[in-house]
Amino acid sequence: MPTAGGLRSVPAMTRETIVRLGGVRKEYGETVALDDVSLEIRPGEAVAVMGPSGCGKSTLLNMIAGLDRPTGGTVEVHGERVDEMSETRLALFRRHHLGMIFQFFNLLDDLPALDNVALAAQLTGSKPGPARRRALELLDELGIADRRNVYPAALSGGERQRVAVARALINRPALLLADEPTGALDSRAGEQVMDLLLDLNQIGQTLLIVTHDERLAHRCASRLIEMSDGRVARESTLERL
Amino acid sequence: MRAVWRAARAAVRRRKVQTAVIALVALFCTATGVVSLALLDAASAPFDRAFAAQQGAHAVAAYDPVRVTDAQLTGATTGVSGMSGPFPQVVVEAENPGDIFLAGRPLTVVGRADPGGAVDRLDLWRGRWATAAGEVVLASEPHVADFDSGPQSRTTTLTVNGVTLRVVGWAFSISGSADAWVAPAQIAALHPTATQMLYRFTGDVTTREAVTARLSGVTTGLPGGALVAAQQYLTLKEKAAAEPGTYLPFLSTFGVLGLLVAMIIVGNVVSGAVVSGIRHIGVLKAIGFSPGQVVAVYLTMVTVPAVAGAVPGTVLGAFAAQPMLSDTFRGLGFGQDAGARPWVWAAGLIGVPLIVVLAALLPARRAHRLSAAEAISAGSTQRRSRGLRVQRALSGTRLPRAVGLGLGLPFARPGRTALTLATLLLGVTTVTFAGGLSGSVVRVAEIGDRSGGQIGVRPQPPALGVSSTRTDTEVEALLRGLPGTARIGVFYTHEASVAGMSEPIMINFGRGDVAALGYEAQLLDGRWMTGPDEIVAPTQLMNRRGFRLGDRITIELGGGRSTFTLVGETVRGVPGPEGLFAERAALARLDPDRKLAPADFFYQVQVTDGTSLDGYAGAVRTADPGLYAWNNTGGDEFATIVTGFSTVLSILLAAVTALGVLNTVALNALDRRRDLGMLKSIGMTPRQVLTMMVTSVAALGLAAGLLGIPIGMLAHRFIVPLAGEAASMRLPAEVMQVWHPGMLGLLALSGVAIAVAGALLPARSAARLTIAQVLHNE
Repeated sequence: MPTAGGLRSVPAMTRETIVRLGGVRKEYGETVALDDVSLEIRPGEAVAVMGPSGCGKSTLLNMIAGLDRPTGGTVEVHGERVDEMSETRLALFRRHHLGMIFQFFNLLDDLPALDNVALAAQLTGSKPGPARRRALELLDELGIADRRNVYPAALSGGERQRVAVARALINRPALLLADEPTGALDSRAGEQVMDLLLDLNQIGQTLLIVTHDERLAHRCASRLIEMSDGRVARESTLERL
Repeated sequence: MRAVWRAARAAVRRRKVQTAVIALVALFCTATGVVSLALLDAASAPFDRAFAAQQGAHAVAAYDPVRVTDAQLTGATTGVSGMSGPFPQVVVEAENPGDIFLAGRPLTVVGRADPGGAVDRLDLWRGRWATAAGEVVLASEPHVADFDSGPQSRTTTLTVNGVTLRVVGWAFSISGSADAWVAPAQIAALHPTATQMLYRFTGDVTTREAVTARLSGVTTGLPGGALVAAQQYLTLKEKAAAEPGTYLPFLSTFGVLGLLVAMIIVGNVVSGAVVSGIRHIGVLKAIGFSPGQVVAVYLTMVTVPAVAGAVPGTVLGAFAAQPMLSDTFRGLGFGQDAGARPWVWAAGLIGVPLIVVLAALLPARRAHRLSAAEAISAGSTQRRSRGLRVQRALSGTRLPRAVGLGLGLPFARPGRTALTLATLLLGVTTVTFAGGLSGSVVRVAEIGDRSGGQIGVRPQPPALGVSSTRTDTEVEALLRGLPGTARIGVFYTHEASVAGMSEPIMINFGRGDVAALGYEAQLLDGRWMTGPDEIVAPTQLMNRRGFRLGDRITIELGGGRSTFTLVGETVRGVPGPEGLFAERAALARLDPDRKLAPADFFYQVQVTDGTSLDGYAGAVRTADPGLYAWNNTGGDEFATIVTGFSTVLSILLAAVTALGVLNTVALNALDRRRDLGMLKSIGMTPRQVLTMMVTSVAALGLAAGLLGIPIGMLAHRFIVPLAGEAASMRLPAEVMQVWHPGMLGLLALSGVAIAVAGALLPARSAARLTIAQVLHNE
């Protein structure tokens, strides 16, 4: 598999922290999903969030991505308070500063791989031609350029996730958020995605990975946040495998 | 069954939007269906019921007693199943000048011993039968309330040939056999001129030709020229059916369109429920529901809201039909029967839910076929999509990405798109048809207004206060002298007898600018009259009386008799009951000694452009306080009812269509929750999501607009003449020429407007989707 060494478009890290959470609380009715969570992520870091099901790790990722709003506390990403943004402002913020990859890929079934990737660029106003050219570069660098015209239903799980990664990267995000990126993949495809994430981090891409997979955390992350019952139970620095 | 009910109840609760859509659609369709069925039933049922109850006469014949004896008449029974008569008959003119009901009316008086008999059993609904000389029973419809508040209730005597008869009863004949009945002892004093026979025939009597043939069979053995007049029951039946018949074609069209929309929407709702509930189906099967029970769950799910909509829909429809029915039958003698009959109620309550269930059966069968494993695994795998080339092509265009994605959405689910397009198509067809229909009835009303004269003037009768002392020529001169007067028609209107018909006919003897008032301009056929021996008839009167251009018609008035040639057919007649046009000179020809009072004349005035109609009417009243003048424009009740109904129905159908679109967009949003979440997660703004969802159906709306307009125009082209035919009217070409570019442009946009209106709500809720929930509920 080709390395991601060609992905030289990660923005320069100029801030001391790229994510800052202060006393974040999230309630769903009677259930407290996050309880007084505070943490910081610095540019270039690769942080893994782990914990048992229902501990609040996905909720934490949602808060950072602005996919959901906290009940209390502050969420600052790339110097901006995402918890105070309007829906439209949040969409524009995500478009320009965040990339996301999901367990189930979430590709549009109706578009081939290339257009799935280009779509994110087109949403920023890029014309179809340049957006497709940039998407093709990314697919090429991720080793699936030959699958550019294939629809998601015909791609393997690993290929789909690489398309999802390419889509997440096309707008050169400051922060890449990954929610169980290997959860739906077989071990070989999982390995490939791990390599890809590691390579991305090594060229400076800030990563936040929510996972159950200890191997993924130890392979790709430099810091581990363990959560339990909506709280940060432990933080530790990791020696990459 | 309990499990099925519980699962169906849960499904109903889970699909609030779809449930509400089905209930509303069922309500609307049931209401229009019940109105249509009630009118359809009413078009024939009340007459048939009354005709059967009274043993109505298939033919009422008048014979010349000079040429044929009573014995010969009773002996002529070929093809006759029952008969009443012979009864002496005479046409007289009431000499009751102060009686509004009787004054000047020609009356057919028959000498009859009792109201019963084998044929034409009269409904003696007030008082008693005339059994002695000096007594009379008058004909009137059994509308007690109208009767008691009308002029008839004050009529106590009838004076004919100087003899005053006391009114002892009131009766109704469905056969229209007479206007008054006296005892045999009295009729001789009135000098009868004809002998009446009332027949019921064996065999086919469903067409005019058949009844004529039956009557010929009876008269074959009688002396030549013995039969002087005959009236068929079909004439009365057609008259009774004419008004509801006029409404029927277009109400039925709305009804059928409504039912089609209902079926499509229900099919769409259920197939959507099956598609979006595939995993649910799998779970039901996995826990032991049989395929039949799963289908039952889905059918129950649609039947509950369908019944919930059909019940109020039936009540609404029955109440909506009520005023139309009673207005329609008022004066026809069987208004008391007007109302939706039990079978109409039953059809409303059962019919629409049944149609809904039938529409649901097809998609529900898919739930029947799916295996549990297949159903449960569906949704967790990447779907193989459709319409990919289109999506691909759109992604390469310079359209805003949200618009491009929206335009591509319909291709992903071609079945749902086809049903939505069909719903929109029917919606646009309805709006187009309703627009054309309103345009046409407005044109008919305009024709009436154009020729009707803008101002009506009538001298007040002395009984009502200040009366004019001017003669008709003096009134005409006064009106011509007023500023703003353009044209004046002066009419003397009176009922007269027509040889061969028992029912009298109205004749408008006119002078002045009658032709120029617009009557000549609205000739459908023939030409305007040029002499006192010619007449012109409105199309409705011609059709109802069976007149043809060139007919020689013999008219009797005040003892005089004259034959006229029918030379022209107009769209409308003088305001009021439809009557013939004749020249004023024709009156002198018919009845030279007739005494005319100033109050007998009616003046139609057209004013010059820019003249205030109300101002002119005021000027007339100032010039002569004995003249009553009024603004005679507008107020066409039929046009108001049709325009009102078609507007309300088309708005309702458009609303139902919008509900269908709402359902489609809600289903699309539900199916694409994951895609929407993903799009939002990569930066699609709520506005872009809204744009994408609205665009997905707006394009269909535009396509439906372009296709629906010609279909609506075609429906208008066929249905409006049918309504005209039912009303016994020939429609002039201009009535059909209602389309103009501006209107067509607006209609083309109506599809987009309906689609956008229906899509906005679910599109907004799609735009507000919480991404976290959508993307993590995998």
